[in-house]
Amino acid sequence: MATEELVLKITGLKTNFYTYEGVVLALDGVELFLRRGDTMGLVGETGCGKSVTARSILRLVEPPGKIEEGEIIFFDSDDRSGKITPIDLLQLHPEEMLHVRGKRISIVFQDPATFPNPVFRIGTQIAESVLLHQDLSREVVEMKIGEMRNSLTGDLPEERRSQVVEKIRYYEQQLDEPPEPDDKDKKKAAQIVAEEMLKLVKMPSPSSVMMQYPHELSGGMRQRALIAMALVCNPEILICDEATTALDVTVQAQVLNLLNELKKEIGASIIIITHDMGVVAETCNWVSVMYAGTTVESCATVDLFANPVHPYTAGLLTAVPKLHDTRERFPQIRGTVPNLITPPSGCRFHPRCDYCTEICKKEKPELKEHRPGHWVACHNPLS
Amino acid sequence: MKLRDFILRRLILAIPVVFGVMTMTWFLSYIIGNPVAMYINTNTPASAIPAIRRAHGFDEPLYVQYFLYLSGLFQGDWGISTSTSFRPVTEIILLKFPATIELSMIAMIFAIVLGIPLGILSATHKDQKIDHIMRIFALAGVSMPIFWFALMLKHVLYFQLAIAGLPHLPGGERYTLIRYLSFKYTTGFLLIDSLFFYGDFTLFVDALLHLAMPGFCLGYLTIAIITRMMRSSMLEVLREDYITLARSKGLTERVVIYRHALRNAMIPTVTVIGLAFGSLITGAVLTETIFNWPGLGKWAVRAIFSSDLAAINGFTLLVAFIFVTANLVVDLIYGVLDPRIRFG
Repeated sequence: MATEELVLKITGLKTNFYTYEGVVLALDGVELFLRRGDTMGLVGETGCGKSVTARSILRLVEPPGKIEEGEIIFFDSDDRSGKITPIDLLQLHPEEMLHVRGKRISIVFQDPATFPNPVFRIGTQIAESVLLHQDLSREVVEMKIGEMRNSLTGDLPEERRSQVVEKIRYYEQQLDEPPEPDDKDKKKAAQIVAEEMLKLVKMPSPSSVMMQYPHELSGGMRQRALIAMALVCNPEILICDEATTALDVTVQAQVLNLLNELKKEIGASIIIITHDMGVVAETCNWVSVMYAGTTVESCATVDLFANPVHPYTAGLLTAVPKLHDTRERFPQIRGTVPNLITPPSGCRFHPRCDYCTEICKKEKPELKEHRPGHWVACHNPLS
Repeated sequence: MKLRDFILRRLILAIPVVFGVMTMTWFLSYIIGNPVAMYINTNTPASAIPAIRRAHGFDEPLYVQYFLYLSGLFQGDWGISTSTSFRPVTEIILLKFPATIELSMIAMIFAIVLGIPLGILSATHKDQKIDHIMRIFALAGVSMPIFWFALMLKHVLYFQLAIAGLPHLPGGERYTLIRYLSFKYTTGFLLIDSLFFYGDFTLFVDALLHLAMPGFCLGYLTIAIITRMMRSSMLEVLREDYITLARSKGLTERVVIYRHALRNAMIPTVTVIGLAFGSLITGAVLTETIFNWPGLGKWAVRAIFSSDLAAINGFTLLVAFIFVTANLVVDLIYGVLDPRIRFG
């Protein structure tokens, strides 16, 4: 795959958790790539390391977890010149990482009930990111012009009116090279940017929501607010970590539609983490399947649903109910998810695999291009 | 608007509590002994006793006496303190209350200013050397009885240093009596009087030095409690999802802790601070006695030794009022800190 298309490339990512029971090898060589403008689904069963991968990208893995090795290359494109610079996120100084988090790569978390801070207004929480990452000098000047224009609509004596018009002209000259604004103006402008963002995520009555606290909103509204927080600084990559799992089905559909629409609007590349194949089919054009801390298959969504190559993916797909299903019982993948403190040797899936051979027990398969545009990590791929 | 309703509701809820305390203190003091005994001594002629009984309403039925007691309370007649030259209880409370409050405030300032940062430090450096030191410091504060700690403090920082001829902290009283013999209080708060009404800075410093040892001694237990509470609630809050969200925004660790975590972690700590303020006043009984502090605590101890019922009642009521007020203030601060409580 040509690197200029990529926006994120993860190779050999290993993250361990040091618990009392032993070292949990949660991620063991995760390989992922995300093309610019793509929506990638990251699927797998609970505990396979999807969320740990997401947190590893942002280096938000908290003790006792630790990212051991690997490369997470983020191809950062400059907004103005379009120049692309590859950055290895794992090598960045923690302080430089602060400029990536929330600004270049942001994340929407799973549970809208627990993720917003309960003691701050929604507006404050969104504006916080804006104040942190954006240079608001232009917005401040625009805000001042807007205020002046508003005052023109009222009844003003002729003399005052010409003064205001003069002022507007003065500010419009500043637009090209806006001066450094003071903190108070910046805060006001950040609030305006935040409210615009709420409108973009289709929050009902955004101006009153700005002043409300998280507990006053419904689950769907809170999730919209979280999405607004993640998107407000125009990130390159948006990670949705089970962003719709905690919502009921109708709200889930609304949020997914919103994500599809927003993607066109902001042009970010999206990673959607889910265990719901329906969500993947609905929103993603690329899928990566994870099993027990490794990437097992990666290809276009259509291709995956039509021709799964890895035995695990195939098993996963046959277990998805279809609308006109007549099956009494769904087939299941035998066995259970392995304990990651003592993972199986070789291919981590081999104890549960119907196609297991000797080599599977000894050697860990690499993620290879099985056929053009279809990557798989398996010694005995299907078809 | 909503904040006003909240305050009003909490105020109305405080009324039955205060009323209950009034009733309880009256009944309890009635059980202790014959109230007339307070007003007579061996020289009182037996024939005068019925007159005394009548004068204080002790010959009336119980419910009438209860009513008289309540109406007296509301009119500011809290009885006569027999152990303090038969002066009205309210007068003595007004006279001595500022000294106790001043001491408690200093103790509280010690507790908050030291306890909260120490708790945060302890939580953010969990299981590191600094955390262990803090925990030993806090455990010592919780375990040492005030009277022992006060005596030790006084012994080392006053007696031993004084004997060695070194600079030492004053061992008692509110100010150096020999130097400022004829000091007349205006508000009763020495720190305020000396600075704003007399403009005497040396007296202010003198008062501060006198406050240092009893203030710290009285506050140590509260410092320890606040540190421990702050540490545990901070640790709990730092595990919350909204902290992960704050970190994912790219905020610095400092902002995450002091803006996002602190306010949430303060909510349980404020409860403890409110309750501790009430117990500071009662804790002052021991501290004031040891440091010869002319406050309510010392007065209450003397009242107890001489079975001065009116004074004991007055002191009990006052402490109850302070507890109720402190809890009311805590409830209000809750509302400010946590928007979920404001409308609940």
